[in-house]
Amino acid sequence: MRSILVMVLTAALGLWTAFADEAPISGTVKAVDAGAQTLTLEVASKGKTREVVVHMKPGAKVVRFARATEPGKTGFIEQELPLSAVKVGWIVSATTKHEGNREVAEQVKIVVER
Amino acid sequence: MRTKPFAFLTVSAGVLLLGLWIAQPPASRANGEKDDEKGGHAHVPAPLEYADAHMPLSLWTDPATIARGKEIYTVRCAVCHGDTGDGKGPAGVALPLKPADFRDKAGVAEMRDNYWIWRVSEGGQVEPFKGKGSAMPPWKGELSVRDRWAVMAYQHTFSGHQGPHVPWEHPGSVVVGRDIYAMACVACHGAEGRGDGSVGPTLSPRRAPQPRDFTTGEFKFRSTPSGQLPTTADLFRTITEGVRSSGGAMTIGLRGHRIMPSFRHMPEEQRLEVIEYVKSLNRAFWERQEIKTVNVPAPPPVTAERLARGKQLYADAGCLACHGERGRGDGPSAPTLKDSRELPIAATDLTKPDRFKNGARPEDIYRTLVTGLAGTPMPSYADSLEPDQAWDLAYYTLSLSNNRRRTAETMR
Repeated sequence: MRSILVMVLTAALGLWTAFADEAPISGTVKAVDAGAQTLTLEVASKGKTREVVVHMKPGAKVVRFARATEPGKTGFIEQELPLSAVKVGWIVSATTKHEGNREVAEQVKIVVER
Repeated sequence: MRTKPFAFLTVSAGVLLLGLWIAQPPASRANGEKDDEKGGHAHVPAPLEYADAHMPLSLWTDPATIARGKEIYTVRCAVCHGDTGDGKGPAGVALPLKPADFRDKAGVAEMRDNYWIWRVSEGGQVEPFKGKGSAMPPWKGELSVRDRWAVMAYQHTFSGHQGPHVPWEHPGSVVVGRDIYAMACVACHGAEGRGDGSVGPTLSPRRAPQPRDFTTGEFKFRSTPSGQLPTTADLFRTITEGVRSSGGAMTIGLRGHRIMPSFRHMPEEQRLEVIEYVKSLNRAFWERQEIKTVNVPAPPPVTAERLARGKQLYADAGCLACHGERGRGDGPSAPTLKDSRELPIAATDLTKPDRFKNGARPEDIYRTLVTGLAGTPMPSYADSLEPDQAWDLAYYTLSLSNNRRRTAETMR
């Protein structure tokens, strides 16, 4: 009985912590450092603008979405691109995890290219 | 015995965690509220520069417009808003401020057309959306107004609503303004905006001015040419400043002798909301094709020559017939003047500029001369006065004031 309760509690705590540690983020790209695998984003929240450095996790992807060109296919397909191809001024989004005072992303999505 | 307290503590902790999870979603360190499914799309009033941008009614259902909108939407919007308009396009799903779901009938019904084009035009670059982390790009630089309307018409189809997207189809879009109107305006302007509230007539018994009937196209205080509806900015100015009167017992309680009080104290957003409701009482605001406003040039310097020319114009233009030689509102025609409701109306006493209904700055008088005051005997001089002459007359009018010191400050 006790062990079941401990497991349930641990699982609940773990789940809560995991979800609590994830956060969506979007902003305008201010700087790209392909060597350090980071993106600096200007983000706005609760009326304030600040810069957030997003660290790419090893193996993380940057993707844009394009229309499927194959006949009969609709919708969007993901196109991967290198971090160095990301330009200042683009709007991107990511779901980041807080790891050791860093915002770490597994995937960065290009929202608007301009 | 030892198991019970442990189980109790464990269950309590679990319940506490569950409660925390439900009541307080994890705060974002970044810029989003990840559980804010509707993305916090506050349907705030559009700012004045967009407030008159009402989409022509026919475009909402025009097949060619919708087809054009689909073309643009598919390329530029669907990546976030989704091909089906559900706000779940692949680039939108991870955004902190979720893209709008156009299938949400209630949400769409709350949006006004001027809000909609404001959002499409400015995207997330303006508050309150910028502060919420909106990633919506501004399209005003890339899409013409017509194309932005086309996109709106196509987006509107996702909601399933047939017909134009207007307040009389979606009363919920003006419900905030309606409530403010019910509290602040109905006593004078009446429940249906016909100017027949119970209090209004007592302010000026059996005489003009009476509360405005919003259902007609007759609005006194405008920056638009004679015979046209006012702009939203005109209505905003009137509601902010109130309407001054020539005084009288019934207006003493209203600061500065106002027949309509100033609502300057009301938050700007609420003033805009109530204006949207007032506009909804008159479909002509949505049916006008183009809004022209009179141009009020920068006031020139006052000179003795200008005042002399103004004095001559005052006589030539027939002002003294109503306003009298010395501007006291005692001209020979004054006792017979009536407004469009056949109510006796006083000629304005020009020696008391602080009671001018349309404002007493030189540019206010210029505007009054050019637009006239609809529904009153005061005509528009747009066709008979050159701009320089209008300034001459405006300055001469102010020179008639019995408070010359204050007037001199106004003209300086």
